[in-house]
Amino acid sequence: MLQRFLDPSVLAGISSLELVARTVVDGFVSGLHRSPDFGFSQEFAEYRAYNPGDDLRHIDWNVYARTERMYLKRFRGETNSLLTVLLDASNSMLFGSHGVNKMDYARYLAASLFYLAIHGQRDAAGLITFDDEIRDFIRPSTRQGQLHRLLAGLEHAEARARTDFSKPMRYFQELLKRRGMVLIVSDFWESPESIIRSIEPLRFHGNEVVLFHVLDPEDVRPKLNGPSILVDLETNQQLKVTQDYAKKEYPEKIAAHLADLRDRTQAAGMGYYLLMTDRPLDSALREYLTLRGARK
Amino acid sequence: MGFFAPWFLAGLAGLALPLYLHLLKKQTTVPKPVSSLMFFEARTQSSTRHRRLRYLLLLALRLLVLLLLIFAFANPFINRNAAALASNRLVLLVIDNSFSMRAGTGLSDTRLAEAKTEALKVLSGKGAARGQVAAFGSQLRLMTQPIEDESALRAAAQAIPPGDAHGNFAELARAVRAMAESVHTPIEVHLFSDMQRGQLSATFSDMALPANVTLVTHPVVSKAQPNWTVESVDAPGQVWGKDLKPVHIQAVIAGYGTPAAQRTVSLVVNGKTTATKPVTVPANGRATVDFPALEVPYGFSKCEVKIDSADVFPADDLHRFAVERSDPQKVLLIHNYGDTRSPFYVGAALSAAAQSAFMLESINVNEAADRKPSNYAFIVLSDVNSVPSLLENSLTQYVKAGGSLLIAAGTAAGARSQIPIFGAHIVETRDYNRVPDRYMAVGSSDSSYPAVAKAEGWLGVKFFYALNVDPGTGADAARVIVRLGDQTPLLMEKRLGEGRVVLLASGLDNLTNDFPLHPAFVPFIEQTARYLAGSQLEGGARPVDAYLDLRTAKTQAQDQSVEVTDPDGKRPLTLKEAASAQSFQLTEAGYYQLRLADGHQNEVAVNPDPRESNLDVIPDDVLALWQGKGASQQAAAGPNGLPVPAAAQKIPQTFWWYVMLLVLACALAESVLASRYLGTQREES
Repeated sequence: MLQRFLDPSVLAGISSLELVARTVVDGFVSGLHRSPDFGFSQEFAEYRAYNPGDDLRHIDWNVYARTERMYLKRFRGETNSLLTVLLDASNSMLFGSHGVNKMDYARYLAASLFYLAIHGQRDAAGLITFDDEIRDFIRPSTRQGQLHRLLAGLEHAEARARTDFSKPMRYFQELLKRRGMVLIVSDFWESPESIIRSIEPLRFHGNEVVLFHVLDPEDVRPKLNGPSILVDLETNQQLKVTQDYAKKEYPEKIAAHLADLRDRTQAAGMGYYLLMTDRPLDSALREYLTLRGARK
Repeated sequence: MGFFAPWFLAGLAGLALPLYLHLLKKQTTVPKPVSSLMFFEARTQSSTRHRRLRYLLLLALRLLVLLLLIFAFANPFINRNAAALASNRLVLLVIDNSFSMRAGTGLSDTRLAEAKTEALKVLSGKGAARGQVAAFGSQLRLMTQPIEDESALRAAAQAIPPGDAHGNFAELARAVRAMAESVHTPIEVHLFSDMQRGQLSATFSDMALPANVTLVTHPVVSKAQPNWTVESVDAPGQVWGKDLKPVHIQAVIAGYGTPAAQRTVSLVVNGKTTATKPVTVPANGRATVDFPALEVPYGFSKCEVKIDSADVFPADDLHRFAVERSDPQKVLLIHNYGDTRSPFYVGAALSAAAQSAFMLESINVNEAADRKPSNYAFIVLSDVNSVPSLLENSLTQYVKAGGSLLIAAGTAAGARSQIPIFGAHIVETRDYNRVPDRYMAVGSSDSSYPAVAKAEGWLGVKFFYALNVDPGTGADAARVIVRLGDQTPLLMEKRLGEGRVVLLASGLDNLTNDFPLHPAFVPFIEQTARYLAGSQLEGGARPVDAYLDLRTAKTQAQDQSVEVTDPDGKRPLTLKEAASAQSFQLTEAGYYQLRLADGHQNEVAVNPDPRESNLDVIPDDVLALWQGKGASQQAAAGPNGLPVPAAAQKIPQTFWWYVMLLVLACALAESVLASRYLGTQREES
C-alpha cells in the first residue's frame, strides 16, 4: 500500500521535502527491519596492529596498558561519519519525460539520504550545489536544525548553466577538509575520463566517493516521431536527428558510455550507482544500501 | 460525356494546395529538448524518404473533394438516348376547350373534335412514357394522373367537353411551371389548340416555360377564318312597372376577317322573335343595330340578339341578356315643413336615372311618426332641424335591423350639436360665402365608391355651406368618402347594426350648394339609391368566368343558403357551399337562375368572351419562338409537328447533382478522418 506513494510521480505531488524523505526512508526501513550491515553508524569493528605512520589518536591505550602492544581500534563507518552530497544543478537536470524530472528526483534522493543520516544515524551531513561553479554550500554538521537547513538548501537549488566538474572540483577539496562520505548526484554528461579525473582527488583525500548517476528513461532510449530537431538544454545547440539513429545507434553509444563510466569509477575505487527516474526511490535506495553493506 | 461549363476545369490547379500541405508543410517540426546532444549525431534522410507523404487517406479524400467540386462546377453531362429516357419523361397532352374550339361545320367536325383526334395520334406514339391529359379553358384542368395506361388516357381525352371560357396561354404556362416544380422528370407538353391570337398574353415572358419542359404545338387550323358575331348588347337589366318610356336596345355586330356583307339581326324574347332588322356590316368592321322597344312581361325574361349563321362559328352568333320587369321600390323622403326643394330634386333625379326603379314618397317630419320604415327600400332624412324621439328610435331600429338611411345635413341641422341616428358630433358650421371664392369645391374623393365614381368625382360642384362633422375614431369611425378642399368631410358612411347610414354634410336643395343643378347629381342619387336599396348586384349579362357575389354585406351574417341553377338545369353548388359560398364563378354560357341569401330571385345571362370570336391565328414564327427552338430544330420535327422518333435523338443529361452528393459524402469522411488525426496529434503533444 505504502509502495504506491513512493512512485516518483506521486512524490512530486508532495511539496515538503522532509515529508518526502520521511515517506521514503520510513517506508523502506520498516520493510527492512534491522540489518547489521546498514547505515553509517560508528560500531566497533576490529583491532589492528599499529603500523608506523598510523594516526596515534586511534590507538587503544587501554589495550596497550594491559598488553603493552599498540592496537588501533577500528569502527565500522568510521570514515563515513561525515556525509556530503554534491548535487549537480545544471540545466540538463531539468529534463524529464514523465512526471518527475531529474532535478526533482535528485532532490528526493538527497533529502532521503540526509534524513537517514541525521535522523537515523546522528551523522553530520552537508550539501554542495554546483553547476560550473559552486552555487551553495552547507557545511556538514550535527547541530540542531541541520536537516532543515539541508532541505532548504535543496529547495533553493535551481538548475542553471551547464555541468563542469573540473572547475568547481578544486573548491571541493578546500571545503571538504574532513574525510567522510561524498555522494555526487548528477547526470554526468561528460566523458568518463574527464569525470574520473575531476573526482579522483576526493578519493585520494580518503573520502568514500559514490556517484549517483540519475538519468531519465528517454536519456537512454529517446523516442522520436520521424526526423526531429533536438535542442541541448545546456548549450541550446540544435541538431537534426533521424529516427533511425535514435533507435539504433544512440542506445549503443549511451550503453557504452554507461559501462565505461561504471568501469572507470569502480577502477578508481569509487562507488557507482545508476538511478532511472521512473524507478521508485525507496527500492533504489534500499538496493543501494544493501549492496553497500554487502561490499563492506 | 462533356461539360456545360468547361472553363471551371481550370480549378484543377487548386489540387496543388492539399499536396503542398501534406508534402511540404509537414516538414516544419517543433524542436524537441534533450538533456545533452553528447551522443547524438546530425543525420538527414534522403529527400524521397524525408518528403514522404503523410496521412495518405486524408490527402486522397481532400484531393477527391476538390476534384469533384471542380467537376460539379463544370456541369458535366452525358449524352443519353432519348429512348432510354422515355420512361422518365411525362407526356402532358393539353387539349384546348375554349369557346373558339366549338367552331366547325358540324357537331362532329369541330376544332375540339379535331384536337382530340390529334391527341389520340400522339398518345399512340408515346411509347413507355407516362402520360397525362388536361383540358385548357381559362385554367388548366387535369383529367388524369400521370399514368401509363393508354386506354385510360384515350378515354380521358375523349371525355373533354366543349367549354365557353376564354383561353390565355400565360395561364397555361403558369400552370406548367407550377407542375414542373413538383415533377422533376422532363415534361413534354403537347398543346392541341386552334392557336388563337387572342390567347397570347400581353408580355411574352409570362409564357416562358422551365428548362425541363418541351413544348410541341399541334395547331388544328392553319389560317384565320372569317367570323361574324354579336359583340355586345346594351340593354337594361331591369325595367320597372308599367313604364311608358320605350326600352331601347342597341346591339353591335362585328366581323373578323370578313368581307362587307348584309346580315339579318333578330331580337328574341323568351324564344319568340319580336323584331328583325337587316344590317350591313363593313369588311372587317362593326355595325350597330337599334331595337327601339323591348316588350317584356313581369318577371324575368330570357332575351337574345341573334344574327343569321353564315360562318364556321355559329355558336357565337347570339348574345344573351336577361331583363326583369317589376314594381318600383318605394323611397321615403322626410323633410322639414315647408321644404319643397329637396323632394323635387331627389324625385326628379330618381325618375330620370333609374328608369323608374324607385318611387319617391315625401312627407314632412311631423307626419313621419306613423310610417313604418320597413316598407321602404331606404329613407332619406333631408335637413331636418329636429327629429322627434319616437321617429329617431324607430329609424335607429330600422337601420340596425338592416335598413338604409341617407341623411342630408344642411342649414337646419347646423343648429344641433349632433347628427341624429348617425351619432357624429358637429364641430362647426362652414359658411363658404365668406371665403374669397364664395364657395368650396371637392378636394378629394374615394373613386371606388360607386356614388362618386359614376358621378365623375363631383367635379365642378360648388358648396356654399357645409357642416364640419367629426367622423370619430376607432371601430365606430365613419368612412369618409368625399372631402372638401379644406378637408371638411362631406360624404361619410357608417355601419349601424346590420344597416348603414350615408351622411351628406350639406343639403339636397340648391341653397347650400349647386349640386342638384349639376349633371353629377343624377348618377349620385341613382347609385346611392341602388347602393342603399341593395340592388346594385343585379344585372342583365355577364361574361363567362365572371364571379357573381351571392351574399351582400347585409346577408353575410345570416346563415341562409343560396340556390344556383346552371344553364343545364343542374345545381352546381353543394349544400355546404350553398350555405357559405360568398361568390360563384359562371363557367358556362347560358342563363343562370339564382335565389340569393336575402330572398331575391335573379336571372343572369352569361355570354362567352367576345375575344373568342376573333379566329385569327398566331403566326408560325411566334409559335416557334414560344417553343424555344430555331429553324434547325423545326426541321428535326417530323410530319404534323410530331417529334422525330425518340431513339434517334441524343439528349444531354447533366449529373452535377450526383457529383455534389459525392462531394458531400467525401467532405464528411474527410472531417471524420481529420478530426481523428487531430486528436492523435493532441495526445502526442
